[in-house]
Amino acid sequence: MASIAFEDVSKVFDDGTRAVDGLDLEIADGEFTILVGPSGSGKSTALRMVAGLEEASGGSISIGSRVVNDVAPKDRDIAMVFQSYALYPHMSVAENMGFALKLQKVGKAEIQTRVKSAAGRLGIGELLERRPKALSGGQRQRVALGRAIVRSPEAFLMDEPLSNLDAKLRVEMRAYIAKLHQELGTTTLYVTHDQTEAMTMGDRVAVMRDGKLEQVDTPEALYERPANLFVAGFIGSPAMNLLRGSAFEDGVRLGDQRLPIRTSHRGDVIVGIRPEAMEPVSESGPGVLELRVVLSEMLGSDVLLHLEAPTSSVLTGDMLDTADDELPDDTTRFVARVPPSLRPDPGSLVRLRVDPDRVHLFDPSSERVIGR
Amino acid sequence: MNARLVNRGLDALTWLVLLVMLSPILWLVAASLQTDGQLSRGAYNLLEPTFTAFSRMWQTVDFERYLLNSLIICTAAALCATAFASCAGYALARFKFRGATGLSLGVVGTQLIPGSLFLLPVFMGFVWLKQNTPVALFDTHLGMILVYTAFFTPVAIYFMRYFFAAIPRDLEEAAMVDGCTRFGAFVKIVLPAAAPGLVATFVYAFLFAWDELLFVAALTQENAETIPIGIRNFIGNYQERTAQLMAAGVVSTLPVLIAFFATQRWLVKGITAGAVKG
Repeated sequence: MASIAFEDVSKVFDDGTRAVDGLDLEIADGEFTILVGPSGSGKSTALRMVAGLEEASGGSISIGSRVVNDVAPKDRDIAMVFQSYALYPHMSVAENMGFALKLQKVGKAEIQTRVKSAAGRLGIGELLERRPKALSGGQRQRVALGRAIVRSPEAFLMDEPLSNLDAKLRVEMRAYIAKLHQELGTTTLYVTHDQTEAMTMGDRVAVMRDGKLEQVDTPEALYERPANLFVAGFIGSPAMNLLRGSAFEDGVRLGDQRLPIRTSHRGDVIVGIRPEAMEPVSESGPGVLELRVVLSEMLGSDVLLHLEAPTSSVLTGDMLDTADDELPDDTTRFVARVPPSLRPDPGSLVRLRVDPDRVHLFDPSSERVIGR
Repeated sequence: MNARLVNRGLDALTWLVLLVMLSPILWLVAASLQTDGQLSRGAYNLLEPTFTAFSRMWQTVDFERYLLNSLIICTAAALCATAFASCAGYALARFKFRGATGLSLGVVGTQLIPGSLFLLPVFMGFVWLKQNTPVALFDTHLGMILVYTAFFTPVAIYFMRYFFAAIPRDLEEAAMVDGCTRFGAFVKIVLPAAAPGLVATFVYAFLFAWDELLFVAALTQENAETIPIGIRNFIGNYQERTAQLMAAGVVSTLPVLIAFFATQRWLVKGITAGAVKG
């Protein structure tokens, strides 16, 4: 096992697209790090540069103590799991899993032992003689994982390995991969656009946008202390509510409502409130927002209330992809997560107390978080 | 009721068209099982077939030699065309390089020029080589293999390019991460995955070379003559051995039919690849 390090790495494609721009990131030995970001953020390119499938235009990439920029993929001692699984169609499951070992000229008996052991661990022992086309999506996924673990490489690289699975299987495999990492302890770099995967699987999560690293931290820290507007909007589901407001001495105003939040900043701010940072109350008071219900969604364990926002909201991160066209543009999106006992009718008013300690303020021009 | 009648009518029409298309082959087989006398009188007796023509055809004409020549030349030419096309098709499908578009257009462009236009230059080239160099191509297996390879390589490139383009890049990338060089990934992973394409391309080139008469008639004299030349020899100035001609027709069609039916699935896929994946 080994650490992986990006030092000022950039990638510019022939057509001039700058896919990765000055990436600095270190993945410690044995760490499970997630690269997350929307489409085109450069996360897959970064991963492919570690694999040697893309050449870095600048900077250096190291695996362990070795700079690998000029090392061929086959000599990097890494294993990769692809989104499409990339199983060799003309080989059986056992041949697929043993292919890398065969190339390393490992003895037949040893290959057989290691393949059987990996297959046993993954629960695909009875599939070894089958061809990939005779396997289900979940089974193919396991074979792809098996092909990676059978080699005991320095690091695993995973490129959106769960995105071709259905929702139920994805949840199952998510836990499975996390468990596998706990058992093997192999350094893993995992790319996904799904922030739920990012939050649940990784020791650390690196959020990327437009080729740049926005923030890297533990999932908890990213959720609790986003460094900028993009990370705030990208991490968390449903996404953080981001509203245009103004900071005064007596607090932050959102339209005609006021939140008692102290800040040295004056003037326009963007106020970030997580759907979970509010609780329904019966009386008005300081820090209580009165909002009109547009729609309520019953999730079983709780209810998502879609409300008319007190001021125009800001779209950022994955919210741009999922913005609801049916809501009015200027008071678009405000979501609160409340207990299932509360099911207000559309059009009625609800009172929600906002936890001031869990409100985030951002500078509208720099989009950076404002310290309080 | 009407729809049913229409369907029945269409079925009948399909069978009729099929019968018309198969009739030359049926006639070929039927005629090969008669004597010359029966054929000249038009008195076919299908209930009492004779295989005399099949046994005598080998003595009348040295048909074995023609068959062997055809097998050698067509197999070698189809193999070479497929091998060259695999390399070129892979390069066109996977790499961006200066002149790639021009090469692609050129490959298709060669198909717009009638092949017979090349006959005279090739013939003169062969004669020139024979007169001025020790390179002997006229009336040799090598000469015909080169000509047919050159003829079928462009189409084969077109086929193979689309077969390779349909193979996910992830496969060779996975192989490279697993320990292959790019060439190793091509040989160990991409080529086996493109096996249907390779077979289709090989059979396509083989079938066309098997039928070719114009070039083999002009560029060979004795040593490298193939079946299309051999079959003509059953009809001479002074005699016509029609039954044996038909028997030779059956014998020369058999390998083609076997090759076609054995690889039909891949052949159709190969021929339609360009149409659906364009």
